[in-house]
Amino acid sequence: MGRAGLAGIVAFAVGLTTVLSLLLGNNPALFGDQPGSEELARRLALPGDVLLRLLVIVIALSIVIGIVNLLYIHIGRLTRGKFYSAVLLASFAFTIFWLTVNRGDTSLLEAVQVPIESALAALLFLSLALGGARVMQKRADIWGLLFVAVVLSVLLGSLPLAELAPVRAFSAWLLAVPVSAGARAILLGIALGTIVVGVRAVLGLDRSYRG
Amino acid sequence: MDDTTLQVYSVVFVAITVVLVYTARYFQARRWRQRQLDGMKRIPQWITQSIESSRPLHLSFGNAGVGGDNTPVALAEAEFFHQVVRRAESCDMSPVVSLSAPTSLPLGQDVLRRAWLKGGALSRAQWYPPDLAYASAISALMADDEPAAHIMAGSFGAELALMLDSAARRGQPSLAVSDRLDGQAVAFAQADHVLIGEELFAAPGSSSQDGGGHGDAAVLDVWRALIISGATILLMLEFSKRLPLLSWPLVAIGVAILLLLGIFTVWRR
Repeated sequence: MGRAGLAGIVAFAVGLTTVLSLLLGNNPALFGDQPGSEELARRLALPGDVLLRLLVIVIALSIVIGIVNLLYIHIGRLTRGKFYSAVLLASFAFTIFWLTVNRGDTSLLEAVQVPIESALAALLFLSLALGGARVMQKRADIWGLLFVAVVLSVLLGSLPLAELAPVRAFSAWLLAVPVSAGARAILLGIALGTIVVGVRAVLGLDRSYRG
Repeated sequence: MDDTTLQVYSVVFVAITVVLVYTARYFQARRWRQRQLDGMKRIPQWITQSIESSRPLHLSFGNAGVGGDNTPVALAEAEFFHQVVRRAESCDMSPVVSLSAPTSLPLGQDVLRRAWLKGGALSRAQWYPPDLAYASAISALMADDEPAAHIMAGSFGAELALMLDSAARRGQPSLAVSDRLDGQAVAFAQADHVLIGEELFAAPGSSSQDGGGHGDAAVLDVWRALIISGATILLMLEFSKRLPLLSWPLVAIGVAILLLLGIFTVWRR
């Protein structure tokens, strides 16, 4: 058996164990009123709990790997004379130094990170407004027109003006019926896709197991 | 619905999906004509531009990572990116794969390792901190690496607007799709090309010659058709209760007409 086959078997075993453990565990009602059904349900839930805890540890470790990757990439860029990479590396070194000297002090976060993120959030608003304005350039069709009409109706409906009461009612209907239905349809499609890909991964049919 | 019933339904649903996946893969879905995804039509052209101009493609997972709710999104996009990287292999520069979920870093590197057979591209999988920090880092990447095009398929929020705006200002074309509604709305408004909803998962099959990918797309279509049919029938039944003019035969005729319309639409595609 090749490495790919072994990986597929491990993936299948772990995936099936987790799925069954999550579906059947912690629900004694599934096994009727027989004595020991609670203990059985608790035992069935155990493998899922253990595997999920292992996952949390792996995720925590992967953050360290991500930071190492970030530094590696920017050290490489620094050698190509990229100024912003020097800023990033200097900021990283200074933050580590600051946290080492002033243990638990979050003033650097509050003084630098929060204002920068706030500025970016404000910029994001402008980008969104600009994007909305550009829709008709990119999609000069019925769907683009509908998109702009809905956005305008909702924006107008949110204004606190008595004259716009009919628009407000129309906007509320839009949000409650067609927008809600569309959003549910999109989420339903994504949920279906999630299940199909999940099944493929659990069955070991995913490309990443093929070596 | 109590927990037990829900769990039983879940098991039945998953079991049916398993049967459908195996059946579709057994027949390799060769006879199944997959739906054309409009958003995908430009990808071959972008790959050609990337090869001719020696500029990399930028492939982005966003915040889709292994281990979270969007694990299947990350897996599906890894498959999609694999197909794109395979096709772009003649380019001098390997594509850049960016992501903001550290758990998908091995996935991104795996895509480059398997599909970029020239090797030496592992450092082109790049992690950046999530959300606004990621958006600003990608904007900087757009200026530094000048990618030929951006394929942003994964999990994005409203911060996608910053990236797409930056790409548009630099004249770099983009395809975007997100499993989050806010990101999807931004993608529709600002990306040059867009995929919507389950097209996120149908994209790998659409970009490959692999029968397995087509099979997964076929399973998606079967489930979708079943759900639409079920919803239509339930809707008509609900109407029949409220409107005394509607009788059972009329409901049946209405359902039949709607289903025929659906089949006709699929056939036309």
